Amino acid sequence: MGALTAEWIKLKRGLAWPVVVLLPIVLVLAGAATQLARGGQPENGWHTVWVQSVVFYGLFPLAIGVAILGSLVWRAEHRGSNWNALMSGPTSSLRIVAAKATVVAGLTSIMQIILLAAVIAIGKFAFGLPGVLPGQYFAIIGLLVLATIPVAAAQSALSMVLRSFAAPIAVALVAAGISLAILMIEVPGAIASPYGLATRTTQLGTGMFADTGTITAGDITAILAAAVLVSIVLVAVTTAILERRDTRS
Amino acid sequence: MSSTIVATENLTKRYGSRAVVENLNLAIPEGAVYGFLGPNGSGKSTTMKMLLSLIQPTSGNVEIMGQPMTRDTRRSLLGDIGSLIEAPPGYAHLTGAENMRLVQRLLGLDRQQIDSAVATVRLQDQMDKKVRDYSLGMKQRLGIAMALARQPRLLILDEPTNGLDPAGIEEMRNLLRRLAGDGVTVMVSSHLLGEIDKTATMLGILSGGRMIFQGTRAELTAASTPDVVITCSDPQAAAATLGSFNARLTQDHEVAVPGLDDRQTAGVVAALVGEGIGVYGVARDEQSLEDVFMHLTAGGGL
Repeated sequence: MGALTAEWIKLKRGLAWPVVVLLPIVLVLAGAATQLARGGQPENGWHTVWVQSVVFYGLFPLAIGVAILGSLVWRAEHRGSNWNALMSGPTSSLRIVAAKATVVAGLTSIMQIILLAAVIAIGKFAFGLPGVLPGQYFAIIGLLVLATIPVAAAQSALSMVLRSFAAPIAVALVAAGISLAILMIEVPGAIASPYGLATRTTQLGTGMFADTGTITAGDITAILAAAVLVSIVLVAVTTAILERRDTRS
Repeated sequence: MSSTIVATENLTKRYGSRAVVENLNLAIPEGAVYGFLGPNGSGKSTTMKMLLSLIQPTSGNVEIMGQPMTRDTRRSLLGDIGSLIEAPPGYAHLTGAENMRLVQRLLGLDRQQIDSAVATVRLQDQMDKKVRDYSLGMKQRLGIAMALARQPRLLILDEPTNGLDPAGIEEMRNLLRRLAGDGVTVMVSSHLLGEIDKTATMLGILSGGRMIFQGTRAELTAASTPDVVITCSDPQAAAATLGSFNARLTQDHEVAVPGLDDRQTAGVVAALVGEGIGVYGVARDEQSLEDVFMHLTAGGGL
């Protein structure tokens, strides 16, 4: 717990919060821009608003956002002799890795909730859609919070290993692209890629890309299982890397 | 004889074929202020990093508080070891107080331990400032407060006087003495002997990755016997008489004779008296540790 509290203190005055807030809002606005310019209501109501913002968000902006958060969370550790201080305390490598991944995942989940709020706000206030956002989408956001834990763990690991701020972000972009391609050619096990898993979840029930349009219990079980397993494997591997690494001089 | 808190056995670190530290047998008695000396690049930081298990030795081993220090055991030992390696740590975007709160949360300390560590380095009035705006001396003190907060049994400080002004260096010396008085073992490195000369009770001198001396200050001075300086009625004649002892004339018209033990000194005086030279005074040259240090490091093949 101590390690986690410490991580939250480190976020103070950092750039993580603006990223968490602005990225989803900008994406929802961008998704709705054409429709807003054209005027009138979107064809399929809430569904259209969702597809235009969330599905696009899941293609690569989500991965990039998580990558930026990962780099921000690790940046301070690579400075000066903070790495030495981090590694010469009694906090175990597992707790350090888990706390960092949890912070990145936590920030990511806040980003999803802001995404949800932005979708509702656009639908309600910009388009004046009737009713409320169907419950299914709330559930998908809930699932997305879990399904993005592996991306958070993966990006946290990359930012731990790579001192560069930009390199992990570049890796995220490439990995998200490859994972989307694998999803589309329907290779089994495509959601074992953390990026594929996140993208797949944003497409649930939309009929876009790899989705059939209907959400099955099998889909949800597979997503949950992948989220748990991939997260555990990533945290374990990252801990082993941190534990075996010499500090750089 | 007090017990040994840090011991290494043939500790070696190689990068490729280049040995940075070679066959180091370090022994730090509990409660000592251990001055770890050596020129820049002699392997001091590398050694300290191996003691903390920040880097793995190529061969040899480290024992701290009677237990082997390895990657598997380090986390349990590190709770009792405060350290400051290379530069002072600290998150620049946070204030001093926030940095200390991090340490408090990470180590599960109470408020009072934090306050007392901050008071020890006299930083209590600067705690609301961002570390980014600290001077180097303030960063150094914050780093020490972070290391002290856990009330360590062993404190490992790498060049803590770097970047400090003379007043800051003096303050650091007092701090080290006070800590040693409280029973904390302090290992402190420096490339400047004068900085820890008066504080250290034990000295280890490293040159080119090898230990060229380890022992007390008195032993170090004894390791290279100071010259015998003779004041007499006829220095020229005296120097000539003692030519076989490599005697030389000093600028003050005294005769300096190197490498004499007490018996030889008596013999030399008798010889001068026998030659009819009046001996006014015989003294051991006050040799500064700086001289000894230079002498030893030169011998180490620098």
